[in-house]
Amino acid sequence: MDTSSPAAFVNGALLRRYIGQKVRAVIQVIRSDIGSVIGKSTDDQQIVVKGSPNPPLTTYIEVIGIAETENTIRAEVWTNFGDSFDVQNYNELCKLANGEFRHLFI
Amino acid sequence: MEVSLTAGAIGKIMSGEVTTEADMIPVLQVTELKQLKAYQDPTRERFRMGLSDGTHLHQGMLATDLNDLVKQGTLQFGSIVRLTHFGVHVVQTRRIVIVRELEVIKSNSDIIGRSVPGGKHNDQRVADSGVKLNTTGSEQRGSGVSQVNNIETGRSNAAISPQVDQRPVFGTGSSVPASTTPSTRVDSNPSAGHGVPRLDHARDPPTSYPRQPQPPPPMYANRGPVARNEASPRIIPINALSPYSGRWTIKARVTNKAALKQYSNPRGEGKVFNFDLLDADGGEIRVTCFNAVADQFFDQIVVGNLYLISRGSLRPAQKNFNHLPNDYEIMLDNASTIKQCYEEDAAIPRQQFHFCTIGDIESMENNSIIDVIGIVSSISPTVTITRKNGTATPKRSLQLMDMSGRSVEVTMWGNFCNAEGQMLQNLCDSGGFPVLAVKAGRISEFNGKAVSTIGSSQLFIDPDFVEAHKLKDWFEREGKSVPCISLSREFSGSGRVDVRKTISQIKDEKLGTSEKPDWITVSATIIYMKVENFCYTACPIMNGDRPCSKKVTANGDGTWRCEKCDKSVDECDYRYILQLQIQDHTDLTWVTAFQEAGEEIMGISAKDLYYVKYEHNDEEKFEDIIHKVAFTKYIFKLKVKEETFSDEQRVKATVVKVDKLNYSSDTRTILDAIDKLKTGDGSSLSINIKPEGSHYNADAVNTGTGSSGTRDPSSVQRRDFGLHAHQSGQSGNHYSSGSRPHGGDATTTSCNVCGNSGHVSANCPSSTTEPQGQYMGGSYRGTSGSYGGGIPRQHVGSY
Repeated sequence: MDTSSPAAFVNGALLRRYIGQKVRAVIQVIRSDIGSVIGKSTDDQQIVVKGSPNPPLTTYIEVIGIAETENTIRAEVWTNFGDSFDVQNYNELCKLANGEFRHLFI
Repeated sequence: MEVSLTAGAIGKIMSGEVTTEADMIPVLQVTELKQLKAYQDPTRERFRMGLSDGTHLHQGMLATDLNDLVKQGTLQFGSIVRLTHFGVHVVQTRRIVIVRELEVIKSNSDIIGRSVPGGKHNDQRVADSGVKLNTTGSEQRGSGVSQVNNIETGRSNAAISPQVDQRPVFGTGSSVPASTTPSTRVDSNPSAGHGVPRLDHARDPPTSYPRQPQPPPPMYANRGPVARNEASPRIIPINALSPYSGRWTIKARVTNKAALKQYSNPRGEGKVFNFDLLDADGGEIRVTCFNAVADQFFDQIVVGNLYLISRGSLRPAQKNFNHLPNDYEIMLDNASTIKQCYEEDAAIPRQQFHFCTIGDIESMENNSIIDVIGIVSSISPTVTITRKNGTATPKRSLQLMDMSGRSVEVTMWGNFCNAEGQMLQNLCDSGGFPVLAVKAGRISEFNGKAVSTIGSSQLFIDPDFVEAHKLKDWFEREGKSVPCISLSREFSGSGRVDVRKTISQIKDEKLGTSEKPDWITVSATIIYMKVENFCYTACPIMNGDRPCSKKVTANGDGTWRCEKCDKSVDECDYRYILQLQIQDHTDLTWVTAFQEAGEEIMGISAKDLYYVKYEHNDEEKFEDIIHKVAFTKYIFKLKVKEETFSDEQRVKATVVKVDKLNYSSDTRTILDAIDKLKTGDGSSLSINIKPEGSHYNADAVNTGTGSSGTRDPSSVQRRDFGLHAHQSGQSGNHYSSGSRPHGGDATTTSCNVCGNSGHVSANCPSSTTEPQGQYMGGSYRGTSGSYGGGIPRQHVGSY
């Protein structure tokens, strides 16, 4: 497993901390366009994900990629997470992973 | 120091039993003190006292020698005195107590009891006025009502029926026409004291009291006519009721009304209902009505209203059903009257509680009835419990905590679940912590101590009491973070309460070793299942609504015999008895799962599985099924109990319930746990020092260390599985103190500094040192022991 560049768990607020770095986030798909997907992060911020996903897309997807701006990710890996997802838990995870327990993650 | 007054002394004085100190030396309280101008000698003062024994009041005159006591203030209103030298003189049918000598026991004291002026002095001699019945400030039991000055007029009340005594004033809105009293008061002016008989009725107002005639008491106007129609207008406190009371009347509020119940007993059928009363004194009593009387009054009685009730009979209370603090209960009959008081009487409380703290409950006896108030810290949804006889009742439980730092489980049955229970659930779900007051809850010994509702219980949510407000304040300030020791959880909730533990805690906390079994919940994975004997032949005979399920033995002829039912059956049931090994991130253990849980886990009925294996001999399918079971994660509810197996004590765990792991809610639980961990982070438990020689058969772990310096999640996994039993516990403050070094069994990493697991002190987030690369390696290796000891750096090279 390639662990050379670990991706940080982010939600909308944390994304800006990792601009230019690899991140992963779970997004709720709002709209899907050619070349990009508009989604809502787990803390209700709008995120634009650039790239072309493989159809079909479920409601929740995880994208791993480079954070371009504080609300854009250029995704390399797309994973469908299904239609039901506990957003709150994930959000908490993001907070913990970037806060107190950072050392456990990156 | 509470001095008690000589009860009944005044009564005796009035009846003539006691005339001098030779008969009795009573201890009385001065409830009135007035200065009179001496009739004969205007320059000398005389003091007139109202002497009370707690229930009756009488006038006495103070010998002038003792005047100084009053002037100095030693003898004052409220003083408790012992009459060492006194005489009772009869003057014109009136008895006057002349006090020649007395001892002041307590100068200043609150008025004890509520005194009724003695009933003999009803002479309507007008003369005087301005008698005040000062019973201010008396502490009522439980009701803390301030008294009323019963102001009477001196003169004009001859109209009042002579027999009427001064009614004790129960509250501001007293129903007593005070009009009656003045006369009595007036008349008891002692006349014999100085040897100069004073004719009471001749006394002029000016010579009597400084306080002159006052306007007729207002309450008179309120109640006059109604009261007069009372057969027995004298209202007595409920606590004074006894089977020997004559005609009595009580004024009280209905605090509880039971439903109209039909019954049939050997004597015939009938219906009955009862209701509870509370009066201004805090006295409570139950009133029961049968048959026709029940019909008559049932509709009339409304909870919360005030009624005047008279002419019932008293009988001893049935303590089984009647939990009020009264030895008697009232039975109404045809002659009884119930009259509603329309005006409010603030003196009579709506409810009276005798709250105990939750800490007290612990020491109380089982099955005792108590009132309790507390903050609802958690509440669970209604479950339906089926009793042995088959009836299903809804039940809801909640945790109540209070300032004593303890919490107890309160169980609601029946209707309470839906009504109050739902309200509380809503309040709690929205994040609130409502105050709940329980009246007449029974203490039960179900898993520690718990409180249950009974038929006559009442629940009050966020009531408007002093105690409730105090509780809310305390809770806001500190209660939220105070860990509450649960009386009910000491033995772990019976599974209703989701006590999450890790498997290692079973050993660490020695669960199951106390008298009662411990019920815990663990989230774990099945790693192995014993294939042999996964089921047994069971008796299918129904015993109530459950099958007997005892093991049946083959009779040889194809039938099966059950010992317990003493019968033989042709077809036996097959029931699961699975021996499983389950493991979580801390430890692993063997558990036994029976039929219900077994079916859930296997996904196939025992009978079918049996057939697959033995009848059809379909090994492949069998293997398949077995394999599917392994490595599935569930939430297990375990009953842990220590049992003796031929001289050996073993802690056995039985699976009571198996639930599929709901990741969402499980995550939340874990998040909560993390939060608690964070807040409780101050206390660093000392660590599990892991000395040498870890017994890993975890080669996996060792290979994992190759990745020292990386945060490799996979190595984390390996650690889990590679660990043996007997890991010393995780030492999260959240959990018990697992800080026992296990010789040679090093395993979990626990940080020296903060006591949390998962890292070592060097990496401890609460410490300032930078986590070093060796973190991973150090934790796994453990071989060179001291990672707990905070010298992980040593290990860097040791891979």
